[in-house]
Amino acid sequence: MADLGRLAICLALVCAVFSAAASIFGALRRRADVARSGEHAAWACFGLVTLATGLLLRALLARDFSIEYVAAYSSSTLPTSYTVAALWGGQKGSLLFWAFVLTAFGAVVLWQNRERNRELMPWVTAVLMVVAGFFLALVTFITDPFERLPHAAAEGADLNPLLQNYWMMIHPPSLYTGYVSASVPFAFAIAALATGRLGDQWIRTTRRWALFSWFFLSLGNLFGAMWAYEVLGWGGYWAWDPVENAAFMPWLVSTAYLHSVMIQEKKDMLRVWNMVLVLLTFALTIFGTFLTRSGVISSVHSFTQSGLGPFFIGFLVAVLLVSGGLIAYRLPELRTTGTIESFLSREAAFLFNNLVLVGIAFAVFWGTVFPVISEWVRGVKITVGPPFFNRVNAPLGVLLLFLMGVGPVIAWRRASPQNLWRAFAFPVGVGVAAAMALLLGGMPPGLALLTFALGLFVLGTISQEFWRGMRARQAMLKERAPQALARVVGKNRRRYGGYVIHVGIVSMFLGIAASSAFRIEVQQTLKPGESVKVGRYDLRYERIETSEDGHVSRLAAVVDVSVAGKPIDTLRPEKRFYKKPQQPTTEVANRWSLREDLYLVLGSYDPKSQLATLLVYVNPLVVWIWIGGLVLAIGTAIAVWPSALERRVPVSSGAFEAERA
Amino acid sequence: MSRAGLALTLVLAAGLPFARVEADAPPSQSEIEEALTCQCGCGLTVHSCNHLQCPSGEPIKDEIRSRIAAGETRETILAAFASKYGEKVLSSPTMQGFNWFAWITPFAALLLAGTVLVVVVRSRLHRTVLAAPGGGTLAGTDDPAVRARLDRELADLDREP
Repeated sequence: MADLGRLAICLALVCAVFSAAASIFGALRRRADVARSGEHAAWACFGLVTLATGLLLRALLARDFSIEYVAAYSSSTLPTSYTVAALWGGQKGSLLFWAFVLTAFGAVVLWQNRERNRELMPWVTAVLMVVAGFFLALVTFITDPFERLPHAAAEGADLNPLLQNYWMMIHPPSLYTGYVSASVPFAFAIAALATGRLGDQWIRTTRRWALFSWFFLSLGNLFGAMWAYEVLGWGGYWAWDPVENAAFMPWLVSTAYLHSVMIQEKKDMLRVWNMVLVLLTFALTIFGTFLTRSGVISSVHSFTQSGLGPFFIGFLVAVLLVSGGLIAYRLPELRTTGTIESFLSREAAFLFNNLVLVGIAFAVFWGTVFPVISEWVRGVKITVGPPFFNRVNAPLGVLLLFLMGVGPVIAWRRASPQNLWRAFAFPVGVGVAAAMALLLGGMPPGLALLTFALGLFVLGTISQEFWRGMRARQAMLKERAPQALARVVGKNRRRYGGYVIHVGIVSMFLGIAASSAFRIEVQQTLKPGESVKVGRYDLRYERIETSEDGHVSRLAAVVDVSVAGKPIDTLRPEKRFYKKPQQPTTEVANRWSLREDLYLVLGSYDPKSQLATLLVYVNPLVVWIWIGGLVLAIGTAIAVWPSALERRVPVSSGAFEAERA
Repeated sequence: MSRAGLALTLVLAAGLPFARVEADAPPSQSEIEEALTCQCGCGLTVHSCNHLQCPSGEPIKDEIRSRIAAGETRETILAAFASKYGEKVLSSPTMQGFNWFAWITPFAALLLAGTVLVVVVRSRLHRTVLAAPGGGTLAGTDDPAVRARLDRELADLDREP
């Protein structure tokens, strides 16, 4: 099985190299037959990588401890679900999984474009296969997932206990899907640059891919935050760790692209900028993998580190040089004549939105790499941790929130005083009223209050848009309110889907602001029967319960929770001890509600005295961050759902031919 | 500087107060714990590290407690830890010497990019206006009917086909 897997990987690499070479040759020499053979090789590459991935998964499920990867990342007692997750739990498996997802997306792209974009496709195929070839070369020559042990191990070392969590079943695949699908817009951008077909066709073709990538990056980041919240047990969900930052940066740049591309589609502006954003998003996905794999910057998420750093850096430099060179070569053709007529316009608001998003991405990048820069320049190792990122990014985030309210409703070209009054009187009123109410309600002035006021301002702009659209249909077509609302959204899915996404983002902002500013935390050592009051909760520590199976032993503190004398729940924060890796972990007990989370961690326990130390956090509005993610998913579904016309007339080769003419 | 540039500067400058270090005040335990990185390798601050009996975090917390009880200020406590463990124990760069670049660069880059953006847009706008026949206004846009039609068409752009 291992030999077959290795053979499949080697052949897949050969196919990827051939596919890239044939596609480029076919494109340059205008040999459609050669370019087609390149596509066929890409299909073969996908089939072979699928076979290799399937074989590795089979080896994991069969507990084949003669394979080093299986022995290192699983065990005979590891539950099946986590055994599947072990496929991406280690470096070798995750690189193969990356290649699998990439070649699968490549196959989808080939299928979607079998009759269209024929001038672009050889270059698209070549780019996707070069990227796939890079990952396949790593698993062929550097880090073989099918490497055999000299003697089969009797038992596996088990998966890292921190990864034995259900969020790890979906967080890495979501993030990989987001990372890898960013390769598709990148490939089309390179193809557009290589062929000189710089119109909107490549953008229309990749619009859904860009949104797909952004959506999964969003989910990947959110699932990672949920995992950190539940598993790491420090009461928070985001620690500005380098690996978290690595996933956040492409999301920011991708978000900027999704906004600025609208300006290109509607006003034929920002062509160069959009190219830069697409290329930068892809480069940042490679940079993120470099951070995770290289160990150049320490991270709690770097479960696998190796000497792969130089290969990733080399690939990243090559990507930047080729992309930058192509943009420079096509610069005269990329320039457009469209311009902004006023700073009080939607175009300007979108530009400033881009500026802030890319500014935050830069701030995150800068903070992430500054320890390395400091070491180079001063020879002194320093730490750039959460306080830095919070201080630098909080004001930028607030500015972004403000622009999120302005951009979608301010007039195109130039807003007159009448436009401004019509667009903003109600939302500004809502924001100001919210600020006053919160101040009177006792919220101290500061960033949290500003975030709440701006968040409600944004919600005011969005609800006003929905209301006006619905009322217009009601007035013109005499429809009932629910019907008018459904139709106004259905007829303008992209726009209203975007508004719904903004509602989700506002929800996240509010959750982050409240849980950061108003968190209550108490550490208390208690004897059985003793109580502690935290916020409105009375917590009574009853006893310790223990349980054990072949895989893990558990020690849980039983804590009765009551509010105003009324019992409401019993929570059991745990310490677990995983037997094979001999590693303890914390299992949080969280009682969530729309108002706040009661989050309990068992800090320590002394069997002699039965004293237990509890860490208790009351985190306000945290659940609104996750609800925001759900709303974001709904908004994305609305935005990507094809309109009736698109379902009848997909992005066609006809449009492409028109562009060529 | 243009009004737009000035506005941008003010907006960005408004963020700087959030980046300042708080003035001397009696420090709290959690404030100092947040300002220090746990040395157990977890990557979290001393405050956030919840490793069972953490060999690094717990002694640091105890030392912070005793230093606060002895009346030391935030600065002296942080300086004491920095001299003991090295600068890497601080959870964010100091605002001194080369470390200033860590704090200033993001805002400076944003300010610079914003200024360039404003200047480029203004110069293009100026060129477009000068190039328009009839001087002063964009071609045809002095006609209210044409202007109204343009506005209608741009509003229509928001609607999908």
